[in-house]
Amino acid sequence: MRNWAAFLLAFLGGFALMVLEIVGARYLGKDFGGSFYVWISQIGVILIALALGYYVGGELADRFQRTSILAWLLASSGLFTFLMPDFAGRIIDAIVMRHPLDQPIPRIWQKLDPALGSGLIFLLPCFVLAMLSPFLIRLAARKLAHVGRVSGLVYAASTTGSIAGVFTSGYVLIDRFSLTQIFRATGVLTVLLGAMCFLMDRWLVDDQSEMKES
Amino acid sequence: MRQKANWVCVGLAGLFALVAAAHAQVVFETTSAYHHILVSDNQGIRTLYFDHAPETRMALADPLKGHFEYTEYFHMPWLWNTNLKNVLMIGLGGASVARAYQRYYPEVMFEVVELDPKVWHVAKEFFGVQESRTLRIFIEDGRLHLRRSRKKYDAIFMDAYTANRYGSYIPYSLATTEFFTLTLDRLTENGVLAYNVIGKLPTSRRDGEIVPALYQTLKAVFPQVYLFPAARDYNVVLLATTSAEPATLPKLNQRADALAAGKWAKTPQFKLRLQSFRSELPAGAAKVQPLTDDFAPLDGMLNVAP
Repeated sequence: MRNWAAFLLAFLGGFALMVLEIVGARYLGKDFGGSFYVWISQIGVILIALALGYYVGGELADRFQRTSILAWLLASSGLFTFLMPDFAGRIIDAIVMRHPLDQPIPRIWQKLDPALGSGLIFLLPCFVLAMLSPFLIRLAARKLAHVGRVSGLVYAASTTGSIAGVFTSGYVLIDRFSLTQIFRATGVLTVLLGAMCFLMDRWLVDDQSEMKES
Repeated sequence: MRQKANWVCVGLAGLFALVAAAHAQVVFETTSAYHHILVSDNQGIRTLYFDHAPETRMALADPLKGHFEYTEYFHMPWLWNTNLKNVLMIGLGGASVARAYQRYYPEVMFEVVELDPKVWHVAKEFFGVQESRTLRIFIEDGRLHLRRSRKKYDAIFMDAYTANRYGSYIPYSLATTEFFTLTLDRLTENGVLAYNVIGKLPTSRRDGEIVPALYQTLKAVFPQVYLFPAARDYNVVLLATTSAEPATLPKLNQRADALAAGKWAKTPQFKLRLQSFRSELPAGAAKVQPLTDDFAPLDGMLNVAP
């Protein structure tokens, strides 16, 4: 049961993350053009978010050992994603209009500006989503002897979710829904993940107190 | 005996075809951040390919010949404005249009925005264009350039493409109502936007939605939109005017005759090309929604060349 809950959460987290990456690259494309650097920066920034999220997530998991903290983080990051269509345009505007007008943007900034945009818009929500995996491993592995199996399960679930997220975004979502709708839905999904973490926390606490009583 | 001679003829013809194909000589080849770029010469024609899709053709003997038909439709804006002074082109390729403008209308200030620095290098080295007082090149994204520029243009030409094995397609950021609103803002009175669309006027569902979609998107922003389908090639040039007055072929023919008497419209086949003019709504357009930044499923309408 724990394993199934961990599997589902990791899958959905991986899914949301890759929807943000792929649809985010599309979003950045309208301002930074068909530039190759849009993809470079989007991939690079998401990997930074993953590395930071894994590390900080692991720290927090050991310190708090409860998913309630993650629930709050996910809920606020979900709200951030939900509101993205409303504020992201202004961030990008500030980035591209800060260079002197009527002359080309220097080559170096043509490369770095998209990364700046990805970083300011997509780093935070992806960072929080990446925290899910270490948390789930910490909570689902009740015995040291099972850590291998559980962490393998969580990695596999999260990656499977990411695969589904990539293909669904590229083949279906972009052709059928507006970017605004996709961001809003991903925001709602992230908030739901937060709610699931909250429920899981209650359930695990009950579980532990039962274990202590027996 | 006759039979045998026929076989010899067929064999010889085949051999010639092989030799001709083998004669397509690769002049230059490179890979940039955006394309695999190839320049090859075959039977006096130099061709530029991006990812195996031909972008520009030029006769080696006369650089003003051998070009694709669609490039001639970029001369039509003279019919709406006989006083073109500033022209912006997004997408350089092998510079057929820039070359023709420099030659026929040397006084027109022609600016080109090209994303890929290697394309500019290739155009300089192999397609004989040079930066000059009236030809300027900016290496930048077209939309970003237009957005950050406060200059006004009398005409804006769009020919920015990327290509893959399945054909050429338009970067979606250059095909939305938001982008066209930006171009409208940067055009002067009697301004014209000319847009090369790789596709054809649809006669069946298989012809794709690209031309109707671009037509509807332009129509959502510009008062008038016309079409110039290329007779021989797989291109339709869409022409959007800031002028609301509807143009008709007889009126345009009259204007063309008046132009021919003056210093304008000097391309040899101007009048012939004008006959491609269409003003009616392309089939299927009524069912298509304009493309926006928020929703532009252009990849789903990927244009498959025949």
